[in-house]
Amino acid sequence: MSWRRAVRDLLRHRVRTALSLLGVAIATALLLDMVLLSGGIERSFGRLLVSRGYQLRVSPRGTLPFDTDATLDSAGQLLAALRAEPGVARAGAVLGTTAFVRRRQALTPLVVYGVTPEAQGIYQLDRGRDLAPTDTTSVLLGTPSARRLGLGIGDTLRLVGRLDPRVAAAAVTRLVTVRGLARFVYDAKDQPSVAVTLRLAQRLAGPAAVNRASLFMMQTTSGARADSVAAQLRRKYPAVSINSVADMVAQFRLRLSYFRQLSLILGSISLVVTVLLVGTLLSIAVNERIGEIAALRAIGIARSSILRQVVLEGLLLTVTGGTLGVGLGIGTARWLDAILTSFPGLPAAISFFVPDARQLSTAAITLLITGVLAGLLPASRAASTPIAATLRNDAP
Amino acid sequence: MMPVILARNVDKQYRLAKQDIHAVRGVSLSVATGEYLAVVGPSGSGKSTLLTLLGGLDQPSAGSIALLGQELGGLSDRALTRLRLERVGFVFQRFHLLPVLTASENIELPMAERRVPRAERRVRTRELLDYVAMSHRADHRATQLSGGEMQRVAIARALANQPAILLADEPTGELDAATGREILALFRRLHGDGLTLVVVTHDDRLAADAQRVIHMLDGRIAG
Repeated sequence: MSWRRAVRDLLRHRVRTALSLLGVAIATALLLDMVLLSGGIERSFGRLLVSRGYQLRVSPRGTLPFDTDATLDSAGQLLAALRAEPGVARAGAVLGTTAFVRRRQALTPLVVYGVTPEAQGIYQLDRGRDLAPTDTTSVLLGTPSARRLGLGIGDTLRLVGRLDPRVAAAAVTRLVTVRGLARFVYDAKDQPSVAVTLRLAQRLAGPAAVNRASLFMMQTTSGARADSVAAQLRRKYPAVSINSVADMVAQFRLRLSYFRQLSLILGSISLVVTVLLVGTLLSIAVNERIGEIAALRAIGIARSSILRQVVLEGLLLTVTGGTLGVGLGIGTARWLDAILTSFPGLPAAISFFVPDARQLSTAAITLLITGVLAGLLPASRAASTPIAATLRNDAP
Repeated sequence: MMPVILARNVDKQYRLAKQDIHAVRGVSLSVATGEYLAVVGPSGSGKSTLLTLLGGLDQPSAGSIALLGQELGGLSDRALTRLRLERVGFVFQRFHLLPVLTASENIELPMAERRVPRAERRVRTRELLDYVAMSHRADHRATQLSGGEMQRVAIARALANQPAILLADEPTGELDAATGREILALFRRLHGDGLTLVVVTHDDRLAADAQRVIHMLDGRIAG
């Protein structure tokens, strides 16, 4: 009867209850979004980094991958040495550069990734066939570049290498054939990228790029811990930066610490709002029903039963509002995610709002405790109603 | 035979609107098992306050009250609550039914609090609804009942746990004459069935039905 009674009690004032539920739902949505946001981008970033199975990155000393234009020297020798290291299963090089495609009188710029096809972790081949390790006449197009250039598998295009700023002449041009279509996992939305072999990318980048790479990506052998392998390689190769995914996530976390602080503050505010809303509603309800409550105490209803009934109402309000809030929060998270991920330079695969079972259950439990706490004050007031004085005041 | 209620030199003072009220002054009273006692007197004479003291809803400022052999002054709030639940029935002028519950649910409430099994509660509720002639309104919410009907349900609720004594404060105060007569008849029947009744009332007819009438004036028993 208790739950049924709690429902009916809340329905005594439908508009008031509906408004309170809306308030709790909004506060819950805010809490949910803040929970998803607080660690979401880190989780998303971490997942993205290991999505192709490469746990380690080697970049020029003091930099993170593609953080600057700096490149690694003697890339061929360094790559060979790294491949021979214990704990390293696979290693591949990537050189990022810019090239152009001449269409009529205009030059269309492209982001070119030079890769070692036998060990690359930056694209997923969707259609066609992959690059061969020594092939300098093939290219893979990302969907945005294929769309922009109007090309498909089997078509040819002339890649124009980095322009000399003094004479505006290309360092080199190459006729290449589209072998396949690929999805570049770290690309921003609509980024026009193509993949070629490392050797071709080095040529397109100009004489200064011969035997250089932007980074290496490495897979550890099964059973080896990425952090341990990274630490061991760091000691042996002090001239470069070697980071595991965990290292990069940690650095990313540092850069985004304001997100966490903001989430914590807004999440806490939402809990305070919930306590105030539920507490206020129940206090008003207890005030209105004080005569009823005194009569219940008179007929032998225990303080604990009165307390439980009011807390139950608070809990019901919180759970119902919270359930509505989950839907609202998911909708809002999707909408905000679409806005935030459209910021330039961010990988399209990054998501700001990522659910985590442990965090979500902690938030749910916190919300329930909040509901109980919000009900406790009015409930204890109801339970300690002085019976005779209240009935006397309630008399006609 | 041990009296159901034994009050000795009971005094009650309280503060109301910054004024000290001496509501009950040196009242001694004994109510025997099966007795039907009416307490009458003008407004403010202390009769309702006396009823709250006799029912253990409040503590006297001085004196002592024994209810069913138990000194109320020595009982904890929990024990007093239990005593009221199991041995005392209360009927109020304003009925004080829970408006969100049906007549049946209101009657079941004290039994549910006493953890009487559901099936047993249902049977007892049906019996009580029959007793107060309210079976036809069992599933109506309290707000859908007339004053007389609400008071009959309230009486049924007071009887739910088969109390040893029924305390009623102006049970016909909010009812018209005809409905008041129905409640009067119900009280007469309860007394006939052996229940001890203490009724605070302005209603001469109700007082006339009682075996004994106590007149209160300025907090004292005047006769």
